[in-house]
Amino acid sequence: MLRKLTPYLFVAPLMVFIALFTYIPIFASLNLSFREWNFLSPDMPFVGFRNYEQLLASRDLWNSLWVTTLFAVLSVPLRLGLALVIAAYLVRETVHVRLLRGALFLPSVTSTVSIAVVFSWVFSTDYGMVNAILGTFGLGKVQWLQNPHLALWVLIFVNTWKQIGYDIVIYIAGLQAIPRELYDAAAVDGGKRLHVFRRITMPLVMPTTYFLLVISVIEAFQVFTIVNVMTHGGPAGATDMLVNLLYEIGFVLFDIGRGSALAVLLFILLVGLAILKSRIIGRKVHYEA
Amino acid sequence: MKPENPILAGLALVAGLLFLSPVLYSIWMSFQTVDAYYAGELGFTLDNYARAVGQYNFARYLLNSLIVSGLVTLLGITFATMAAYAFARYSFRGGNFLFAATVATLMIPSHISLIPNYLTLAKVGLLDSYAGLILPAISNGFAAFFLRQYIRGIPKALDEAAYMDGATSLQVLWRIIVPLSRPAIASMALYIFITEWNNYIWPLVAVGKQDLYTLQIGLARLYRINPGEGLIDWPLVMAASTITILPVLLGFLLVERHLVRGITMGAVK
Repeated sequence: MLRKLTPYLFVAPLMVFIALFTYIPIFASLNLSFREWNFLSPDMPFVGFRNYEQLLASRDLWNSLWVTTLFAVLSVPLRLGLALVIAAYLVRETVHVRLLRGALFLPSVTSTVSIAVVFSWVFSTDYGMVNAILGTFGLGKVQWLQNPHLALWVLIFVNTWKQIGYDIVIYIAGLQAIPRELYDAAAVDGGKRLHVFRRITMPLVMPTTYFLLVISVIEAFQVFTIVNVMTHGGPAGATDMLVNLLYEIGFVLFDIGRGSALAVLLFILLVGLAILKSRIIGRKVHYEA
Repeated sequence: MKPENPILAGLALVAGLLFLSPVLYSIWMSFQTVDAYYAGELGFTLDNYARAVGQYNFARYLLNSLIVSGLVTLLGITFATMAAYAFARYSFRGGNFLFAATVATLMIPSHISLIPNYLTLAKVGLLDSYAGLILPAISNGFAAFFLRQYIRGIPKALDEAAYMDGATSLQVLWRIIVPLSRPAIASMALYIFITEWNNYIWPLVAVGKQDLYTLQIGLARLYRINPGEGLIDWPLVMAASTITILPVLLGFLLVERHLVRGITMGAVK
């Protein structure tokens, strides 16, 4: 009897916490999204789809959806493209390559708040590093974080700077798994470097690209810290990404119903994206024999 | 390893320093007086650190971060290892389902649980407490998944030999599986610690009392309240930022290889 129970006892602690803080909250969010509640009033009346209707009719939601999509569409290919090219160079095992890899990887384990604060200074108008450098070339000061057309690009830059080391490390591992003989054969055939990169490296590293694509899109749709520290979603909503909007509705306005409805919509969107990606890209992934 | 080309090595060094220059400069700035900084002069002072630690309570925030990240790591790695062991070594009814549910947590965006977890902890009176910061972060599906894959690679004959000698399953876990999985457990523990150390949104919503701020919250607040009059006191902010970065930075330099190996093993397998 006890023997049969053993595995359950081993998994129980993890399962209890997963259930309490991951799975039950999904249903709780769904339930709350059909209610009106401000966290203080004693009752929370059922209001049907009203929270969803209000959300879908609000400009804030569509703005956030647009800004977040833009952020993802611009930053993910930039990250992965740059990372693959850099990884193709850094795949060699020499001391200086190791050091450079370490330097590039460092930001991905560093505090996001610290990075956001440091880059708030880098891009600040009057005393920032970027404007100081521009100044030495005789160029005028740019209001990076106060200009609605530039602020999102700054966030994309900071996010890329922080995350690219992780992408590179993963790509290097993927590249190391490609059999050497393929490159040797290509060299015998007189393949040009760019050609080899496109015909051998890129297709064979596809499983890694797929993995990175999935996690970086999900990550991009959940960006919050750099927004909260650097721009608060401004100027004029130009960087008001979805999780920032969720935070504002749920924890600044304390509109629990509408915040939950937004959480559910975002959840459906992300799970939908994950399924769609595995349908479309999953089939095109090349795995080595 | 191939012999070094000194020119390439020099270029790599410059590229690395250039890439990290914003952070390096922020550390340098933390040793400047605010007057010297704004006047564009050179100075050296430890006063910013003294003020961050004393007046602005960063010693307390550092302690909070250590307590929270430490306990999350300890409990998280323990639970993940136990579950991984069961998933790897036992076939039991519902086991596949529970394993799938564990892996599926990797795809579930964490923001969905933000409001419900806040309400749950409010209901049981655990907001504004260490427990409130720690409990929602303990379960780590990735670590459980990763360790299960690793444990499956350990020969089962070792377990069986121990059972022959009359060992219990707990002894097998503790005496055989854990010592043989040490590199995997170490890299996962490190991964959990760093993730929790840098966690921002949960402590932001779960904590209002200043005495419970973690470094991340303390730093974000310090930057926002802008202690300089009119001009931001950047040297002070950078001292606080350096305090926030430093522990992980030192840990990283000590165990970089472990960490990178752990991360890539998880992705490529």
